[in-house]
Amino acid sequence: MSPRIRIALLALSGLILLPCAASVIAGLPAFGATIAQYGERINAITPEARHVANMVSAINFDLRGLDTLGEEFMLLAAITGTVVLLRGRRGEGNTERAMRRPGRAVIPRSEATVLACRIAGPLTCLFGLYVVLHATVTPGGGFQGGVILASGTLLIYLGEGYSGWRDAIHSHWLDALEGGGALLFALCGLAPMLVGAAFMQNILPLGTFRDLFSGGLMLVENVGVALAVTGGFTQLFLEFMEETREAEEPDEPGEESA
Amino acid sequence: MSAVTSVLPYAVAAWLFGVGLYGIATSRNFIHLVGCLGVCQAATYVLLLGLGYRWGSIAPIFYDHPPGTPAVDPVMQALVLTDIVVGATLTALLLVLTVQAYKRGGSLDPEKLRPMRAGGKSGRDQGSSRVSEGGQQAP
Repeated sequence: MSPRIRIALLALSGLILLPCAASVIAGLPAFGATIAQYGERINAITPEARHVANMVSAINFDLRGLDTLGEEFMLLAAITGTVVLLRGRRGEGNTERAMRRPGRAVIPRSEATVLACRIAGPLTCLFGLYVVLHATVTPGGGFQGGVILASGTLLIYLGEGYSGWRDAIHSHWLDALEGGGALLFALCGLAPMLVGAAFMQNILPLGTFRDLFSGGLMLVENVGVALAVTGGFTQLFLEFMEETREAEEPDEPGEESA
Repeated sequence: MSAVTSVLPYAVAAWLFGVGLYGIATSRNFIHLVGCLGVCQAATYVLLLGLGYRWGSIAPIFYDHPPGTPAVDPVMQALVLTDIVVGATLTALLLVLTVQAYKRGGSLDPEKLRPMRAGGKSGRDQGSSRVSEGGQQAP
């Protein structure tokens, strides 16, 4: 299909879709006037019923916990797909050397970068842990905190370079973190069934409202999500980083001509 | 509130989606295409958060404010969180496919993407990326 035909098709579909979108927007409740009854009821009931202050965490880990379980495994599947595609193509035979583009200067890392990363790295990890642990109290949770923790590991690469990063990060630990986190979440669903409760029913003591230990089973699920997200995203960084290494056998034909 | 503000977030969402779709349709580079998909996805964030907003409400976190204070819709916020996580991993997966397409075809242009077949152009690298082991020793 030539670009011109494609633009014409896009314009045509836009002409058809635009009135439909306009009529849908006109039919929506005015912005800021009201919210859905479901959210309203959750806001009214959940602080009493679950002793948690953060409604978003309550929805993710308790009220709609089953959806988050699905999301968790979607995350696992996407990251597995990424790893299989990259590692399967690359094989295990990579060297430590970085690929170089001829003619481009290699600028050494400045001391300011190293210092900034050494200061910011631990602080970022601490902040990530804080965000993870206070999931039921203040804004945050396993997903957000996990991504912050994973960014903290990237600062190791920025500050210490590839070899320092590889010394600190081991792929099989990440596998264990990622799979273990997802497993922990699934077990949180199954464990209540052992005592005769429903799947993912919150059977642990609910704790005190506005306290770090509130929400019962949600805290465990939250840690599971944090582990899986930290492991998963760090695994992504690792796999993309490995792509920048020179291959061991230069006789692989597809690589050179690319 | 005036008639403009009552539809503005939805219009912005529709506009973002349209801009992203235009970018996807006219893209000449896979990385640009993945970025345009991200713009489309940003439209869903705006739409969901717009649907869940209510004037004069607090965030659905009852730490500083007692429970019972009017708050915005927490369901939409949880959905946006899901959306962002899905978007991030999807972007990673698409970028990996971009890397593979570049390695096989030598180009980032979607126009030049050709079907993959074993022993493709000039017979190079018979092992497709799906064959993880043993594919490297192809004749």
